[in-house]
Amino acid sequence: MNDKLFFYDLSVRKKYLYMDLVSYLNSADCLSKYIYTTNFFEIFVSVILGIIYEKEIYLLDYDLSADEINKLEVKDLNKKYFVKIKHPITLQNLLEKIKNSKHSRINLYTSGTTGQPKRISHDVKNIIRTVKIDDSKKNNIWGFAYNPTHIAGIQVFFQALFNLNPIVNLFGLARVDILDLIDKFNISHISATPTFFRLLLPITRKFYSVKRISYGGERFDNSVAKELTTVFPNAKMLNIYASTEAGTLLASSSDVFEIKNEFKDLIKISNNELLVHVKLIGDSQLFAGRQKWYHTGDIVEFIDNSKLKFRIVGRKNEMINIGGYKVNPLDVESILNEHDDILGSRVYAKKNSILGAILIADILAKNNLTEKSIRDYLNGKIQPYKIPRLINFVDKLDKTRTGKLRR
Amino acid sequence: MEKLLNIVNSVLENNNKQKIKEYNYSIRLRDDLGLDSLELAELTVKLESEYGIDVFEDGLVFTLGEIAKKLDISNE
Repeated sequence: MNDKLFFYDLSVRKKYLYMDLVSYLNSADCLSKYIYTTNFFEIFVSVILGIIYEKEIYLLDYDLSADEINKLEVKDLNKKYFVKIKHPITLQNLLEKIKNSKHSRINLYTSGTTGQPKRISHDVKNIIRTVKIDDSKKNNIWGFAYNPTHIAGIQVFFQALFNLNPIVNLFGLARVDILDLIDKFNISHISATPTFFRLLLPITRKFYSVKRISYGGERFDNSVAKELTTVFPNAKMLNIYASTEAGTLLASSSDVFEIKNEFKDLIKISNNELLVHVKLIGDSQLFAGRQKWYHTGDIVEFIDNSKLKFRIVGRKNEMINIGGYKVNPLDVESILNEHDDILGSRVYAKKNSILGAILIADILAKNNLTEKSIRDYLNGKIQPYKIPRLINFVDKLDKTRTGKLRR
Repeated sequence: MEKLLNIVNSVLENNNKQKIKEYNYSIRLRDDLGLDSLELAELTVKLESEYGIDVFEDGLVFTLGEIAKKLDISNE
């Protein structure tokens, strides 16, 4: 057990065993209040120390600029707590210590809809509530592809730690290295955003060791999911809806979610927006007074009249109002891009005196497509109000510096 | 009139509706051609693209004749 791998980080060429982790924990004499580093191992150690010593820590994304950090009311970035071990930490008692910690809090930051990152203070008990510990999980090997200063990364970290699984860092690595590592370590679980997976494709090889792929943080991408099942033939797909504010809330094997019975009083949908009860939200500056429900800003669409199952269609501010119907143009682009002869598309709104707005599509097509053929293709696949009513065939679609479609 | 007719017909065709064979000023968009609001919106956006004029800007238009008038195409 002692020589079991804890964390492998190719970017710094370091391999840490579980016994190394225990050793670091036992020899630590100080702990930073604000964790602001690119060293993932240091982040993991700090999170654990914060819990064991019941010191509140703040995880800052290294991406944050000095200016943004100033706005976060970070008083002393270099403040350190002094810590001293009373009883030696062993691998055996480490997990018990974490589980039994009563008051530990971890502070994460999110970018609110105003663009200014907001601090969310989480009870560690709340963050680890979704961790599943099981004998069947003891041989899992995790590909770590999230930023560990954000909720998804923290949750994957705890899931791996509680089952004493190895964590192999994939975040920020080149395609070639990622694929090599999946192979070399026989990674069985990968949790990442749809963009991470999309950028890995196309992949001609197949990887049989992967048993589970979870994605979240962005809209579900059907075409990416389909390709992943070919590349990872033994993998089950899990689509996770989580937020910094509330942690993991919903999980599904497709893009359709359902609110589980145990959450019926804690998650609800109002005006097609997902609301989460304050009980599930980390204590934060998000709530004014005695508000009971947190507005997530995520808009859903029910798949039928029973109103039990739904899809998340986008953020409130992405939506375009077409005659009273809220449409996410990304939805439509997704479907257009699945057409064999369409290389890319950009769907946007044009003001219209009858409906307020109407959808237009710029399409980059392979062959001589006609508007009629595209209309026939879309008919029946999406609702009429989502169908672009004017189609421009273009020679190219502009992209931004980070490779996203320029809108 | 032919250009206008083609545009109206393309909208009808896109929405799997019957095309117009003969032009007639009094053909009503909603009652005769069966255009719903989405289809009317499609028509306006296509007309605007072609003629630069938003036919419905000042309020509803009911017949092909009224459209022609708005577009100022009298005897093409």
